[in-house]
Parts: sequence; C-alpha cells; structure tokens
Amino acid sequence: MSYSKAKVEEILNNTISRRSFLKGLAASGVLSALPGGVLEANEDLNTKIPYSGEKSYQTFRNACPRNCYDTCSIKTYVKDGVMQFIEGATESTYTRGGCCVKGNSYVKRVYSARRLKYPMMQVGGKGSGTWKRISWDQAIDIIAKKLLEMKKEDGTLLGAALTKYSGNFGITHYGIEGMFNSIGYTTRLAGTPCWPAGIDAQNLDMGDMWCNDPEEMKDSKFIILWGVNPAANSIHSMKYIYEAKRKGAKVVVIDPIFTETASKSSQYVQIKTGTDGLLALGMAKIIIDAKLHDQKWLDANTKGYKEYKAYLDKEVKLDDVSNVTGIPLAMIKELALSFAKAKPATIWMGYGMQRHTNGGSMIRAIDALVAVSGNIGKYAGGARYGHLNTWGFNYAALSQAKPEGSVGYSGPEGAKGEFAQVGGEKAAYTDRFLNINKTARELMSAKEPKVRLLWVACKNVFAQDFDRNQLIRAFQQLDLVVVADQFFNETAKWADIVLPVTTQFEEYDVNVSYWHYWLSINEQAIKPLFEIKSDLEIAAMLSKRMNQLQAGSCTFPQSVDTKEMTIKEFNPAIYEQFGIQSWEELKKGPVKAKAVIPFADGKFKTPSGKFELYSDKAQELFGSALPKYLEVRQPYDKFRMTSPHSRWSLHSQFQNLEWMEDFHPEPFVYINPDDAEAKMVSSDDMVAVFNRQGVLRLRAKVTDNVQKGTVLMYEQHYHNSIYNVNELVDDTSSDMGAFKTGAPGVALHDTFVNFKKL
Amino acid sequence: MQKAFLVDGSICLGCNTCAMACKNQYHQDQGVTWRKVREIGAEDYLIDNNNILPTLTSYQKAPKVSMPMERFYFSLACNHCENPACVAICPVGAHTKDPETGICKHDQSICIGCGGCVKACPFGASKFNTKMGRAEKCSMCWERQEEGKTTACVQSCPVHAITIIDLHDPKYKALRSDPIGIDYAIDAETKPSTRFIHPFMPKEIYRQAKG
Ligand code: SF4
Ligand code: SF4
Ligand code: SF4
Ligand code: SF4
Repeated sequence: MSYSKAKVEEILNNTISRRSFLKGLAASGVLSALPGGVLEANEDLNTKIPYSGEKSYQTFRNACPRNCYDTCSIKTYVKDGVMQFIEGATESTYTRGGCCVKGNSYVKRVYSARRLKYPMMQVGGKGSGTWKRISWDQAIDIIAKKLLEMKKEDGTLLGAALTKYSGNFGITHYGIEGMFNSIGYTTRLAGTPCWPAGIDAQNLDMGDMWCNDPEEMKDSKFIILWGVNPAANSIHSMKYIYEAKRKGAKVVVIDPIFTETASKSSQYVQIKTGTDGLLALGMAKIIIDAKLHDQKWLDANTKGYKEYKAYLDKEVKLDDVSNVTGIPLAMIKELALSFAKAKPATIWMGYGMQRHTNGGSMIRAIDALVAVSGNIGKYAGGARYGHLNTWGFNYAALSQAKPEGSVGYSGPEGAKGEFAQVGGEKAAYTDRFLNINKTARELMSAKEPKVRLLWVACKNVFAQDFDRNQLIRAFQQLDLVVVADQFFNETAKWADIVLPVTTQFEEYDVNVSYWHYWLSINEQAIKPLFEIKSDLEIAAMLSKRMNQLQAGSCTFPQSVDTKEMTIKEFNPAIYEQFGIQSWEELKKGPVKAKAVIPFADGKFKTPSGKFELYSDKAQELFGSALPKYLEVRQPYDKFRMTSPHSRWSLHSQFQNLEWMEDFHPEPFVYINPDDAEAKMVSSDDMVAVFNRQGVLRLRAKVTDNVQKGTVLMYEQHYHNSIYNVNELVDDTSSDMGAFKTGAPGVALHDTFVNFKKL
Repeated sequence: MQKAFLVDGSICLGCNTCAMACKNQYHQDQGVTWRKVREIGAEDYLIDNNNILPTLTSYQKAPKVSMPMERFYFSLACNHCENPACVAICPVGAHTKDPETGICKHDQSICIGCGGCVKACPFGASKFNTKMGRAEKCSMCWERQEEGKTTACVQSCPVHAITIIDLHDPKYKALRSDPIGIDYAIDAETKPSTRFIHPFMPKEIYRQAKG
C-alpha cells in the first residue's frame, strides 16, 4: 500500500484524519510499516515497529552532513515512503556500520512534531510570538519585493546580508551562497567560528591544512591526543586509537579536562589551560638537546630551523615550562623523549585549543614539535588537525553570475570562508564582508548602506554567535529577517519570516569529511514532508519571482532538481581521486580516496616550498615569524569557563529532539570539588553562573574532571529552554584566522565567570 | 546455546550510540528506553523513571566504587536470563524463552499490560509503556539475528564494547557475571546471562596540584 504525497500531507495536517489514517493502517496490517510512535500516533496503537526483514525495505544512500569529523555514510531503510530506521554504511571501514547517538536519532528528527512545516510570518513583530501561516508565494513575494526595493533605494544590494555556516555541509548547500551571488553584490558574514586560527597556523607552517588518514593511526607507535576528545566527538576514530594501544602504542592525552578520551588513554597529563604552546616548545627543546631530533629531515625540508633552535636555546627555559604548564619537569622530559623515540608517532590537535587569544601560536608550536621529531610526511605520523583535500568539487550551485550592471563594494576583498574558495575573476566590485564572529556588532555598525535584510541558513545565530543581548538589538533594527531552518529555534523566534527546509533524507546531495577520506552520495530517500522545501528550491523560487518583478534581476536557475544539482558537482578530478567512473557507483556505497601521505614528497605550499619554522608571512600578518610562546588572555573574573562540545549535540542540533531528552534532559555546570566547597555548592544544587555578558541558571555537578579554577558547561541547545552557554562568551578574537578564512576566530575558552549557589 | 551480551566497560565510551540505535530500530516512545548506558559510580535505578523495582532491595547489589563522573559505563538491556522471571510470571505467555538461542522474547501483541514482568524483573529490563498500557523490552533483535544480521546496538557500537556470545561456549566460562558501581542484582535467581569486563583508570594520571 502506498499513499500519494498530497494524501499523506492532508492526513498529517489533520489530527482526526491522522488518527483514522493510522487506525486504518493498523486494520490493513500496514501499521507495522508506519512508525506510529514517531508520528505521535494515538495511544491505543502499537508503537513498536518490528524489523521485517531486509527485503521488505527500500534502501537509500545518505550521509550525515553535520559539522562533525565523522561525516558518516548512512544506509536508510524506507517502507511505504516512510523512513523506518538507519544504519551506518558497512562499506565504509570508517563508519563501519554505525552512526552515533545523534545520527541514530535521525528518524525522530525527520518526523518530529517540533519540525517547521510551513512558511510562517511573525505578524506581531520580532520576538512577539504572534505568528501567521503564509503560503510560499506570499513569503517569496515579500522577500523578492524587499530586495528589489532595497536595490532601487541604495543602488546596490549590499543592504542584504547572508549568514550561513555549518548546519549542513553538503556540497550543494553552497547554493545558498549561490543564491546571494545570483542577485548581485551583497553582504556576507565571513569567517568561521570553528577552526580558523589553526587553519592559519597550519597554512603558515606547511602551506596547507592537510592531515593523514585517521585510519592509519592504528599503526602509530605513539599517539598524543592534544586537546581533542574523540571519545565524545569523533567516536569512529576511537577504534584506530584502541587498536594502536592494543598493539602496544602509548596513547597520551594532554588536556585541561579529564575527558572521556583521557579516561581511556595510557597516560593523562593535565595542563594549565592556554599553555600548550610552551609545553610543545619545551618538548622540542628536550628532544633537540638529547639529539633525538630528525636532523636530516629538518635540513632537507624546513626553513628557519636555525632561528627556531636559537629561540629555544635562548628563550625557552625548562623550569619556566614546568611552572607555567603546571607539569613536573621529569614528566615533560619523559614524555618528550618517549615521543621522539617512537616511530611513527603522531599528534592530533583538537579545535578547542585554538579558541584562545594565543590559539594559532599553540598549533604552530605543536606542528613544529612534530616536525622536529621527523614525523611529518610519514605513514601513521603527522600533525593532524583537519583537511580539505577531498573537497575539490565544482561548486556549481555556488558559482552564479552577477546580474548585469550589479554594483557592489569596492574595498579590499577578503577570503570567503575555508571550504569553497572559488574565485578567479577580479571584478571592479566585491561583496562586503563582515566578521561572522562579531555578528551583532557588525550588523549594527555596517554603514552605506546599512544592513536591512538578513537571510539565515544552515545556522542558528542565537545559539552559535556571541553576546545574545546585542544580537537582539541587532535583529530588531533590521527590516526583514528570513530564517530557513528545520526547527523553531531561538533564531527563528527573532525572525520575520521562517521557511521550513528539508533534512538530508528529503533531498539529493554529496558529502565528504574534513577528517577522513570517504565520499558519500546522499539520495532522496523520502519525499519532503508538509510544505517543506530544500534550500536550492527556495533559491529557485526567489529567482523566479524576482525575474517576474524585474527581468534579469536574478541569475539563479528558476527551477531546480537537487539530484541534477548534485550531479553537476562532480568532475574528472574527483572521479580520479576516488577511483570511480561515475557518481552512480556511489549508490552501491561510499568510496575512499586513493591513499596519499601528506607531504611525503617534501613539497610544501609555503612561499619557500618547505616546512616553515620561520615564516615571513607570519611575521607580516601576526608579528612573529617563529612559533613563539604567547601568553593567553588574562582573567577578567574569578573562574575560567570552558564550553566544549557534548556528545549529545552538534552545536545547536540534535539535543532538541524528543529522543535525545530521554538520555540527556538537562544541562549542568561542572565544578571542581575545591571550588565547589569554597562556594558551598554540592552536586544537584542550582547555581547561577554569571559575568559581565550575562547569567545562566542551572544544576551543578561537582567533579575533578575539571581542574580547580575552571567551570565547564557544554555547548548545547534544548527544546524550549533559554540555556545557551554563548550568552556568557564575549567576542574577543583569537590570534589567527584572518589569513585563510577572512576573519579571526573567537577565543571562546578565554571566557571568565563567577558563580553562586541559588 | 545461551546468547548473551558481553559488555566491555574498559573500552565503552558512554556514547549512547547503542541505546539510540535501539530506539532508531524500534521507535520506543519518548520516556521508554530498552537499552541504557549505565554510569558507573553515580547511577541508581531511582533516576530511571520507567523502572518499578519493589523487589530490588532484597537482592545483593554490586559493590559501590568511586570513579570519575561520566567516564565509565556498562551498556545494559534485558539480561536474557537463564531462568527468567518475566517468562515465569506472565499470565498470557507474552514472554517466552527461545529454546534454541536462549533469547527471552516479548510479544507485545499478546501482552495484556498486567505489569507483572515489570515488577518481577530484578533489573528493570522490562519497561511499562504508559501510553500503550503494555510492557515492552529488548528481545535481542531476534528478527535481525534470524536474518544473519547482528543486533542494532551491537552493529552500531563504534568500538565493539558490546558483543554477543554463547554463554555455553566453554571459552567464555571465566567471564565475570558481576558488574561494579551500578545497581544490579548480582545474585538474582533469574541467572542473568550478561557478562562484564570491568573498567580501569589509565595507568598514569597527572592532575594539576592544588592551590
Ligand atoms: S554526528 Fe558525526 S558521528 Fe554522528 S552520525 Fe553524524 S557524522 Fe556520524
Ligand atoms: S532481565 Fe528481566 S526481563 Fe530480561 S530475561 Fe531477565 S527477568 Fe526477564
Ligand atoms: S539487542 Fe536489539 S532490542 Fe535489544 S537493546 Fe540491542 S538493539 Fe535493542
Ligand atoms: S557500548 Fe558502545 S555504543 Fe554503547 S555507549 Fe558503550 S561505546 Fe557507545
């Protein structure tokens, strides 16, 4: 039995007929095929769906497009047009048949009663909560007219701003930027809150951010997991780390927090936050003094070893290293020497470490340590951070011509972001770039023309950007805020118009990872529910309406098919890299890029062609050619607050789902026992955590997983809760990021707070 | 044969992938979870709102341990007991023990919702679905296993911290049947089949000095 899309929608829209629909299915025996629980069926019905045998399902290939190391390859099981369950693809040795707690909640995400279903307009004004359902035609008409009106009044479209980031990293989602490209020169919130300081650091050192295949770690003899927590945030990498450990490798975790990963390591070394760069320099000095460095490799492949060594000799005092990092000197020596003796050895650096005012300098210092040990360009070695080596798509959806006669910004051009650096043509005008990490401030201060329209896609601004109170003011002064999302989140609450967008199961796309080397196709497994549309379809509708109102005002295709757009992203180089003839082969399962060891040929894309321990570019941009130790931001309140990623969510996604609430219903602040005692706080007490930016109220957990002087709260966003750790974070920049991503990062973990028992 | 879960607390990440994989497969209602990743040192049944455990106090509990919060876990579902209380108590035969595999299955379509199994199970493994007024629990994905697939939870675990073993295979004889640090009726007459590998702390741990 199957139903037409219209029929299913009609039924789902109407409570009474939905009930009889489900009952009807029960009577006809099809109920087992319909996830009653998922569709919030009435309580008389059996909500358990049995597994009915491989052959009874239609299967589709999907991928998890979230901002996650693992970018899992997914197999989706569908029956009668309804998603039943998913599995990780077994073809990928990386995903190996399983997703994570978040991926496994996807069925609920698609069918959640909390999903946005129709375009809506906040008729009572932003934040009023008075919404009206409108049609797509109405929504698009309002937006199109506003754009054209702005263009007429301002003479440009720079008053229209786009903020889009990592909500969906599928390649065709760059079509959202494509939509903005296709209307003229506009304003973009550029940069990345994620990993920019580290990207710059690696580019300065090696001319690229390029890491070894994580699967090689199984053969590493010594692994340092430096400020990275794969046990929570890259769970599929753990099997390689475990395998190495089983084969006798030492796994050392250096982290201010006793993380999930630390609990499974051979050695945990707690370091004082923000001093990692000095530890790396000290270790390098110890290695060189013991003559355990790889002189031959350094001579052949580096620039500035002499200057670097002179700096270590003169400025880096081992007693200082021990005092500043808080780690006994004997332990540092032991760690340095055993790391240097093991071959191959590798260091994996997390993204948290570079979210400090000295973050980029710390990554540079660790890169240098790996170089000194001779582990760059080696199988199972490497200074691992991330890579974009498999991202060479066409970005066809992104690349749209400007309408004829478009007028833009004539200031200097900045980089547009880390992923799709498509450019080429040097035009008289460019888009205007505002720093994504200072969104509130920049939206308010942009002049001539001022920003009047903001389009939010693949991003939850109120969750991920900083300084909520300023953001509210910034949003209120905008004429029109459009939010395209799957859920009615905090940002949607400050929108004028919300547009419901598809999940990856309702559209075509293609996905790669910034960590592993697999490629997955994402097929449309089910028809979009309700009136939901893909970001690309929305762009096409906008183009159609704008052209009706003013011919030639938008160059985006006026009708799109996500499958056709996906096919357009492939090119011979991608086929060659992945050893396939056609994208269709991906329907049989994900494929892996041909193995390459980064920098094994000794070729670096730096100005000198070598690994630059001494970088003129770094001198020019950041005032230090060497990876010198830079002191971290000074405290401005009693306790450091650190806000790492939780296993339950990916930024603002997943924690809001009904099923996730079963496992993790509420946020906590984690406090060291000494600090808790001083403040007379015990586990389960309600506390207020506050600073000059804001205040949060939540329950405490007392644990020495966090060190004295630090409180930890996860970055998480709950359904119907105002908890948002970024409320306490100011927008102070990290040292690097502007070189490759257009704007510096944010020193998130240099936030300071106080707390008290309520 | 007695199929059983072997849970390895020394490598379990506490990632809850397994527990969500079960919901993904069967769509348990909000508030019902057949598999729970139990935190060593902190957790007790009281916080599991779906368990009714009047009988628990009469069992010997696993020893308490002090381990860092939110770091060590055992992932548990139904124990597929050799002498299952749920099967014994069910008045309509909704619970059965498969003579071949030893899997304790529950057939919800027969269940009358008397709640006997929920009360009789010393482990809180049989859950009561208040929405439906019936019990439900892990049936070790027997339908999947019959097709040659493994269970949803086992397949999903990123580090093989849960595996399925045959308890009657002599090579598993030495495995422990007692966990640590969680509420678990270790001497239950139901003879739970779950086996445990205990977690341990890293050999070397350095924490910042106080002050
Ligand atoms: S969030 Fe990451 S680990 Fe989880 S399913 Fe998606 S890609 Fe996989
Ligand atoms: S654990 Fe409980 S529900 Fe499972 S077989 Fe044993 S008695 Fe029955
Ligand atoms: S064996 Fe199947 S039913 Fe049992 S906990 Fe695992 S996934 Fe759930
Ligand atoms: S058993 Fe496996 S899937 Fe379950 S919490 Fe442990 S590591 Fe994660």
